Parts: sequence; structure tokens; C-alpha cells
Amino acid sequence: MSEMWINMGPQHPMTHGLWNLRVRIDGEMILDVDPEMGYLHRGIEKISEDRHYNEVITLMDRTCYVAGMAWEHLYIQAAEKALGITAPERAEWIRMMSEEFQRLASHIMWYAAFVQDLGLMSPFLYGMRDRDLILDLFQAYTGGRLTYEYMRVGGVRNDLPEGFPKQAREVLDWLEPRLVEYDRLCMGSDIFRSRCDGLGVLKESDCVRLGVTGPMLRSAGSKRDIRKDRPYSRYSQVEFDVATADAGDVTGRYLVRMEEMRQSIRIIRQTLDWLDHHPGPVIADHLPRWLGAPYAPVGREGYLLKRNYPKGVGLSAIEEPHGEACAYVVNEGGEHPYRVKFRSPVFANLSACSHYLVGYRVADIPPIMGSVDVCVGEVDR
Amino acid sequence: MESNPEDIRAQLTAAGAVGVLAVEPFDGAAARVKFAPESAAALFQVFRDALGFTHLSTVGGIDWVTRYEVFYLLWSDATKRYVILSADLDAKTPHIETASPTWPSANWHEREAWELVGIHFDHHPDLRHLLMPDGYQFHPLQRAFKLHEPEELEVKVRHV
Repeated sequence: MSEMWINMGPQHPMTHGLWNLRVRIDGEMILDVDPEMGYLHRGIEKISEDRHYNEVITLMDRTCYVAGMAWEHLYIQAAEKALGITAPERAEWIRMMSEEFQRLASHIMWYAAFVQDLGLMSPFLYGMRDRDLILDLFQAYTGGRLTYEYMRVGGVRNDLPEGFPKQAREVLDWLEPRLVEYDRLCMGSDIFRSRCDGLGVLKESDCVRLGVTGPMLRSAGSKRDIRKDRPYSRYSQVEFDVATADAGDVTGRYLVRMEEMRQSIRIIRQTLDWLDHHPGPVIADHLPRWLGAPYAPVGREGYLLKRNYPKGVGLSAIEEPHGEACAYVVNEGGEHPYRVKFRSPVFANLSACSHYLVGYRVADIPPIMGSVDVCVGEVDR
Repeated sequence: MESNPEDIRAQLTAAGAVGVLAVEPFDGAAARVKFAPESAAALFQVFRDALGFTHLSTVGGIDWVTRYEVFYLLWSDATKRYVILSADLDAKTPHIETASPTWPSANWHEREAWELVGIHFDHHPDLRHLLMPDGYQFHPLQRAFKLHEPEELEVKVRHV
């Protein structure tokens, strides 16, 4: 047989976004892969250097367009550390709840797209139907369904509207039995199992070596979860378990994400209970006005003169739906960050792709890459 | 997570690390370790093998106009903490030894830092453009690269 390179992408049903997977094949066997990225590079790190601190939040929603809240949370934590501002307690709990809702929405979106890649159409429709309910919730308290611009340096933009906890609990009550249904549709299907079991295997030691994090790492048996290992926000005050699997294959990643959805529901229920009993301010007082013209913060008139700009460096890490995300914000005194650096989990997970693709067949690429949950927006930034 | 530079300093001394210039406290990490770029390769090994920082989270560069800074964010599964390594590089020809033999995950992070910030990583196995088009001559994250002025592009076509 003769070897050849083929392009899967930039327009291909497998890619879920604009990127190109170049594959060297011999017949059906994959001999080598070379991902080509950059089609979606918008220079978010560069643009951030030219914006006020609150204006960067707009970019965060667009960094990963299925996990906007998680990225807002990541950036806000680093920016607050760099500026020396702390948010009120209630704001922290609302942020945590938002991140978990986002994890649910992101995982359901992944489920819908991934199972559709395998040729099963009904789960796609079920998934999109249920994700819409979560987007309705986001709309109820942020006004946006995909790009929220909700969090602010020093808190969040507005408190939850009246009746929100009831609506949220109804959605959770509806979702919980649906997850069982999802599971039965997939794990009970021979087609699904025969296309997923034992594919794209990456052992735990390889994951660590290659920088692979998130559900991919936990499906190989590791228990690393930033929410547990290095609790941020108020994660130390809620109960949840870290989902793991052993095989490190496509089925393992599926099982981990399914369990994470159940755990997210568990966390959201606890945050809703807390929020019921702890009213209070959601944004800090006396925030400097230069944080975010024209989106002036809700707090009172600023107190800092230009010569009193604080300096600092902020590092934050969160467990984003795809894995470990980090932000490094350098504040050199001034209205704009001097340098913003983001660590995208999918970027690292994708960089290891030759290790979990080579040796399998061309028809295995959609299930394997589907199980990685590629979001090109955060790879290219 | 409390910063604990004394612990890192003691472990580095016990491992016989050379080239460490300073160990500073850092909010959110165990410490920020400043090191001399010449001793990079040996120090990476010390951090991975003796101190247990098995996971390289990211590599980034900062243009300080008079110098460049390259920083590495490391994570240890055993002690569950981050540490930041940071080195100052010469402004004219910023270069440092690659970390990819120690942490293979450095490959793409260094490719990104090279094309966006302009730091060259010596002996890197595959230093090609990643996010920018092939043949792109600029380094957008340098301070000299102005956001509002169009750059003149001459993009080469790749022949496979």
C-alpha cells in the first residue's frame, strides 16, 4: 500500500470548529498526525493589553463559546488578585453556581455533538433540548444565552432575580432523570460500545507527561481536580466527589463526564440552598471607576487617584469543563493589564493527539477526537 | 494555598541545584523561583525528579522592553501546589534551552511563546508556527507590535 497525507478539516464534521487534522495513512491505518491550528486566532491576549480590566470580560465569553462563565471566572480571579480587590461572599457563591451551570451546559453540548458523530441522532436532539433549559436560566439572570458579560472585578453585575432559585431547582429536577436516560441510550447501545470501547487509550503516566488534564486525565485513573486539590472560590465548602474511570479510553471519558454532570447538579443544589439564606451585596463598594468604562461598575464613585494605581501579579487556576485552565495577569500600574497569559486545557490535550490517534483506524478519528471535546476558540484564543 | 518559599529553597539546596538566583513568595503558588537561563536544562530535571513537579502547566513570555521574561508554571500531584520558574533573557536575542526533553508537554507551549513573544527555544524538536501563518515575520505580543497599525504581510505558501 502507498502512504498518503489527507486533510481532515478545516471544514469537516469531525472538527467541531475550524482546525485541520492532517493524517498520514496507509490504507485504513493512521501512521502520523499533525494538527494545524490558528484558523480562529483572534489575538485575545494582545487585545487584552489595550482594554480596561472589566472590558476583557467580553473577550472571555468568546474565548470558549460553550464555557463562557468558566473563563470569566478564571480571568476575574486573576485580575482581582493582581489589583488587590476582593469580592463579597455572595458574589463568590453566585460565581461558583454559574461555573457549575456552565459545566453542565458544556458537557451536555459535548454529549450531543459527540454522540451525533457516532451516527446516533436522538441523543443529539435530547441533549440540545436540555441544554436550552440551562441557557434559559442564564438568560434569566444575565440577559445572555451564550455570551454573558456577567462577572465584574469585585463581584458580579447584578443579583439573581426573584423566582430564580425555584426555576433553577425545576430545571435540576428535570435534568437528573434525563441523565439516566442519556446513559441508557449510550451504554445500552451495542453500536455505541463497539465504537468506543478500547479506543484512543492514554495511560495516566502519559497524560501527566504530555500535560493532558481534565476528564481525559481522570478517565485514566488520576484524581486530580483543581476544585478539590487547590480549592478556589468556595469549593472547599461544598460536598462533591471527583469522577474517575480506569480505562483511559473513549468510554472512560464518557463515563467521567456523565458523573461530573451528576456532581455538578449536587454542587448547584448546595449553592442554591446557601444563596437562599444569605442575602447581601454582590459587588464590592468603592471600586475604582477606571476598571471598566464604559461599563461602569455598580459600586460607588472610585477612590483611587492615578498615582495610586496598585501593582501586582495574579495567578489563578480553575477546573474548566475541559480541564485545568490558568490565567496569569500582570498589572504594572495603569488602566490596562500589562500582560495576560491564558493556559487552555484543550490546547494541551490536543497537542498530545499523536499519542492517542496513531495506530487506530481512520474511522476511529471521529469518536476519539469527539471524546477530547475540542473547543477551537480556546486553543487559538 | 499558602506560599511556602522556605520549603522550596530547602529542597533545592538538598538537591544541589545550581543557577537559582532567588526564591520569592508568590500568591497562589509555592514560590516564584528566579533562575539563570544558562542552567535551565539541569534545573528543569531537578524540579521534575527531586521536587516532584511532574506536570508542566504552561510556558509564557513577557516583553519588558529592556529584557524578556520567560516563565514556567509547574504543578506537583504529590504536594498539590504550583510553582513558577522565571528567567530574565537578553533583549536582543532572547533564547533559552527547551524544556521538552523534561516535560514533552512544553512542545506546543514553547512554539506559541516563540511565535507570539519572540523567545527562541534552543534544541526545540519542532519549532514551527502554530497559531500564525507560515512565514509570518512578526511577534504580536512584543510591545513594539502596535495593535492599531496594519502589518505588511508576506505569507509563504506551504508545499506539502
